[in-house]
Amino acid sequence: MKKILFLIIGVLLFFLIFLNPFFIVYQTQQVILTQLGKPIKTIYEPGLYFKVPMLQETRYFDNRLLDYDAAPAEILTKDKKNLVVDNYAKWRIKDPLKLMLTVKDEIGAQARLDDIIYSELRIELGRHTLHEVLSETRGELMETVTKKTNEKFADYGIEVRDVRIKRADLPSENAKAIYGRMQAERDRIAKQYRSEGSEEATKIRAETDREKVVLLAEAYKEEQKIKGEGEALAIKIYADAYQSDPEFYTFTRSLEAYKRSLKDKTTVILSPESDFLKYMK
Amino acid sequence: MAWQDDFQMKRGPGGQYEMPQFKIPNINLPKIRFSAFLIILIIAILWVVFGGYYIVEPDEKGVVLRFGSYVRTTDSGFHLKFPPPIEKVYTPKVTEVKRTEVGFRIEDPGPPARYRDALEESLMLTGDENIIDLDVVAQYKIIDPVKYLFNVRGPAATVKAAAEAAIREIIGKYKIDEALTEGKFMIQEETRALLQKILDRYDSGLQIVALQLQDVHPPQQVRDSFKDVASAMEDKNRLINESQGYRNSIIPETRGKASQIIKVAEGYKEERINHAKGDAEKFTSILQEYRKARDVTRKRLYIETMEEVLTGIDKYIIEGKTSGVLPLLPLDTLKQVQGRGQARAQGKEEKP
Repeated sequence: MKKILFLIIGVLLFFLIFLNPFFIVYQTQQVILTQLGKPIKTIYEPGLYFKVPMLQETRYFDNRLLDYDAAPAEILTKDKKNLVVDNYAKWRIKDPLKLMLTVKDEIGAQARLDDIIYSELRIELGRHTLHEVLSETRGELMETVTKKTNEKFADYGIEVRDVRIKRADLPSENAKAIYGRMQAERDRIAKQYRSEGSEEATKIRAETDREKVVLLAEAYKEEQKIKGEGEALAIKIYADAYQSDPEFYTFTRSLEAYKRSLKDKTTVILSPESDFLKYMK
Repeated sequence: MAWQDDFQMKRGPGGQYEMPQFKIPNINLPKIRFSAFLIILIIAILWVVFGGYYIVEPDEKGVVLRFGSYVRTTDSGFHLKFPPPIEKVYTPKVTEVKRTEVGFRIEDPGPPARYRDALEESLMLTGDENIIDLDVVAQYKIIDPVKYLFNVRGPAATVKAAAEAAIREIIGKYKIDEALTEGKFMIQEETRALLQKILDRYDSGLQIVALQLQDVHPPQQVRDSFKDVASAMEDKNRLINESQGYRNSIIPETRGKASQIIKVAEGYKEERINHAKGDAEKFTSILQEYRKARDVTRKRLYIETMEEVLTGIDKYIIEGKTSGVLPLLPLDTLKQVQGRGQARAQGKEEKP
């Protein structure tokens, strides 16, 4: 009786340790169960599973989002500019069976991704100018490439979640030209600033000079006006006063004028007939 | 000790070593039957004791898998579990903030930290097809340990690649001048948002805590030109300031001059008016007296004036009524002769 028990335990241990009919599928895995090399079942869900030892075998595939990183490649844009494009893709094994039948394993899948993504990128970038690739349309462009590659990979049991351009730079020869252009552009801007500066400065100076002239002219205007007023008032005062006896004014003013005008270096020729000399006779 | 002697080699008569004589002590082993069940039981107890618990550190979360399948997440502390291979635990560090760099590498975390530029990463094209040199640091942490563990293979590399893609996509929307100056903050924000969007798309369970543009400048080759633009801007300001200075000195000066002109004119006006008033008053006063004795005053005024006028000037008195001789009179010669005489006698002669 005991011997039989030991035998059973021994056989069970042997069975468990060396033939192992159980296997665990982890959260990050999916498994294809093959029977004599022929796939019979795909296991997507994690858990503990049973297989017939010797007869059935398991093949593990990753269930996570996988990385595909391409080597940088030169691609021509629509406006015939060379771009060095370094892209990556995120993909998942959606159907391990299809994958196994078409490209065998992950490594095979990577090679196929290389071919298809590269060609899709070439096609799509060829439809856009460099400017479009750089700016707004870049997102859409990558979306399109992702969609198309995903369609193409449906038969491979692969889901392409995202194709993304990591770097899109110009080849080093072109970069030199760009540096040259940037330099010229900066020089232009610098010149512009400087000439703008002198433009502005000249404007301010000219405006200053103008204002100066205007201020002086206004002052002149005011000056003449004030003088005129003074003059006018003086005339009025004189007129008011002299009006009372114009004849006497003429007389006194004439006398005064003689006093002022007939001074040194004046030669007067007088007739004895004149009023002044009439008593000399 | 007694037993040591037993092990000492004893040389025999033939020079040969003899085997030491072992004297095995007579130990009384307890008469226990080694039962298979007992062995199994002990193994089972050890199995449960050593594999039946796990400890989650304060900065971690415990993620438990049962037969490879996710069952629960636990917080820090001591927890029980089924021993392996039934249950397995992962303890990712969820509070730790990890970082990824684009554009440079940390050679020595220091301090002082040493960096190395990675030009192939840091040089990128801007929207106006210029090249800019910038470095980015993204900080991220695990927000969902389950997603983090099971959804993406190589999360760190994924973040780095996505960060590179994101910064380049965003920088492509900006012109170089914006990126170098006021656009920095916007670029930072947009890149952070895009990177988060990408990581969410991968269901990575990661969250971008912060994203910073470290160093944004023009590439080495054109840096001098960019500096020259900055100094040109300074030159511009300088020129403008100088002309403002000119203006500031000229305008007040002119205003002063203008007001001087006006003041002078006002003075002149007052002068004219007062002169006129004075003259008028003088005239009026004289007139009043004149009216009292017209004839005498008139004559007196005339004679006084003539007296004053004719004193000290050259006078010729010519008889006859004809004025026809006047042009024939050699006035100039007469004057010259007199002038010489006057000159000769200068100093002595005094005029009354």
